Amino acid sequence: MFGDVHLREVWFRYARKAAWTLHDVDLELGPGETAVVLGPNGSGKSTLLQLAVGVLRPGRGVVTGRPDVVGWVPERFPADQPFTARAYLTHMAAVRGADRDAIDEWADRLDFAGFLDVRLSRLSKGSAQKVGLVQALLSPPGLLVLDEPWEGLDAATRKQVPAIVADVVGRGGRVLISDHLGEVSRLPAARRWHVRDGRVTEGERPTVRRSIIELAVAAGHADRAVARLRADGFDVLGIREER
Amino acid sequence: MTALVRMRLAGFLQTGRAAAPLLAALVVLSILYGGGQAQAGEAYGVSAAILFGVLAWQTKILLDVEPDVQRRLGRVAVGPAREATAGLVAALLAGLPVILVAMVLPWLVGGVTGPQKAGDPPLPEGIALGLWAHLLLLLPAVALGALASRAVSGQAARGLAILVGGVVMAIVLGLKSFPAPWLAPPLMTAARDTVGGTDLAHVLVTTAWGVLWAGAAVAGYAHLRRDRP
Repeated sequence: MFGDVHLREVWFRYARKAAWTLHDVDLELGPGETAVVLGPNGSGKSTLLQLAVGVLRPGRGVVTGRPDVVGWVPERFPADQPFTARAYLTHMAAVRGADRDAIDEWADRLDFAGFLDVRLSRLSKGSAQKVGLVQALLSPPGLLVLDEPWEGLDAATRKQVPAIVADVVGRGGRVLISDHLGEVSRLPAARRWHVRDGRVTEGERPTVRRSIIELAVAAGHADRAVARLRADGFDVLGIREER
Repeated sequence: MTALVRMRLAGFLQTGRAAAPLLAALVVLSILYGGGQAQAGEAYGVSAAILFGVLAWQTKILLDVEPDVQRRLGRVAVGPAREATAGLVAALLAGLPVILVAMVLPWLVGGVTGPQKAGDPPLPEGIALGLWAHLLLLLPAVALGALASRAVSGQAARGLAILVGGVVMAIVLGLKSFPAPWLAPPLMTAARDTVGGTDLAHVLVTTAWGVLWAGAAVAGYAHLRRDRP
């Protein structure tokens, strides 16, 4: 879980003589950090995400520090498969060495337990995207990469995305999200990476002047409170026992 | 990786795409054995050579059944090397039932006879050589099918050209008159060995040739897949 995911001087192009889709990219994402990748359609956001998860290999440079468990939610879930949602997720749980109970837990949380026995090809786009989301979360990821996660999801599930992000970063994971719908406001504490003309630049850190508030919660509720605060975009600076 | 192999075999079977190569195998075997009886070595030698193309085609179908994005999800889950290996292992396992059909079918239709005259190879030798030829040719067939798969070829027409071209080259380069037959898998040599009978040393040389050819083709596949997720 510890250590930064580092894209070191990464260049990438899709064919040997093609123009570079991304060039001179040098980025780090540390434990507990979230970055939102912003940019117009076709600017290379998905390419950057696929380099981070290891689907694509840089033409130059290297990606280091990628954790053992990486969850990737592609922009479009490949629903053209002959499985029910449950059978598919059972296969993916086995592939990932994850506990099958996680399937029902996530299905309940995302409110699609009723669709688990429906064939993937018959699911609505929104339900299929939920399956895509769950397969990435079956094992708690050290790096979660979400490609346009708000696309196709219903309003209730869209609201869940920040809480899922908070869960992952709360465990010391890292989250990378692309967004062209302007949903970034749901993650006010996230870093902004702007992709334009093949380059990636970091936007201003979102918080300039901050107030520090001390809270006290029952010890047994501490984890939940931290997760909720992070889901709402607040930085949790520290946790200590009351004397 | 075992779980990914299982998932790919399940996808291959549940889409119904497994039926096409199996039917093709049954058709060619029916034509082969419809003409009359042959001794085991002769029958199985021709059968192994004919099924080479079917097994390569089956491999391409199995690897192409999975959507590209799902293949990449597998890559993220288990890593590039194990993802690519899982596809090859699934294709090898899928080839075994076809070989079983090829070994059993001639007995069901009365297509195989024992030795007819003194000096003919005994029946067990013919069966053993036949099994050897089928299993040996499965390796390069899977490698050829993998090279023709969509992940590597990118386009349907190019994949078909690789598949058909590979099978034709394996036959043409395997003709006795060709000076460098090792450029192709030992398709014709294994068939000739099985039909005419051979000795252990020749079997070992041909086995090494088939394994090395398949290994080289798989190495090429692995190299190409590095940048073709």
